[in-house]
Amino acid sequence: MTNREKYVQVFVDSFSVNPDQLDENFVYQCVPEWDSIGHMGMIASLEETFDIMMETDDIIDFGSFTKGIELLAKYDVTI
Amino acid sequence: MEGFSLNFIELQEYQPNRYPFLMIDHVEEVIPGKSAKGHKNLTLNEWYFPKHFPGAPNMPGALQLEALAQMLTVAITTLPGLQGKVTHALQHTVRFRKEVLPGQTLKIETTVISWKRGICKGRGVGYTDGEIACEADMLITIPEILDQYLPKSSK
Repeated sequence: MTNREKYVQVFVDSFSVNPDQLDENFVYQCVPEWDSIGHMGMIASLEETFDIMMETDDIIDFGSFTKGIELLAKYDVTI
Repeated sequence: MEGFSLNFIELQEYQPNRYPFLMIDHVEEVIPGKSAKGHKNLTLNEWYFPKHFPGAPNMPGALQLEALAQMLTVAITTLPGLQGKVTHALQHTVRFRKEVLPGQTLKIETTVISWKRGICKGRGVGYTDGEIACEADMLITIPEILDQYLPKSSK
């Protein structure tokens, strides 16, 4: 799996969405599943998938599918 | 961390619920961040028995679950800096196996599976007369901590 495929899979698994829905409009709370708990579950899943530990500021900034791609680059994860 | 016990007065420093909603009487041993076990004694004087149910009193399942959650809470709120913090339930999956009756003691054992960023995943089992009466997988949070990690709402 490529990093992008892994990244998409985390969103699909965390929020029960179709990969087609994942674009710049997919933001925090845009679907009921991406609530506070969904957010923490998604972050934990990304950390496990890419073997990283995200900083608090990045967890807060992680407000969209596209913003996440930008933030993961800080951890040498290229999507 | 070392384990310690909490009597009915001491436990209230770590568990914000009060009558009629405090569902644990004694904490036999809490190991902060790891586990908590103790009990709830049930007498016929419990406020819910006259109505649940007349002639066949038994502890409401929702309150059995609450007792498990309150014990799990103690395992978290005894961690440094968390004393007295309010917790909320996020998601519980519970199974009830037998009625919990007046005169019995509900023994409660809870284990913290994970505690991270304000969310605790844990498990609790309640016993009466040596048999499992109820068991639950629980997710609880300290909102004050969880909120520190959330993006600003898009709405």
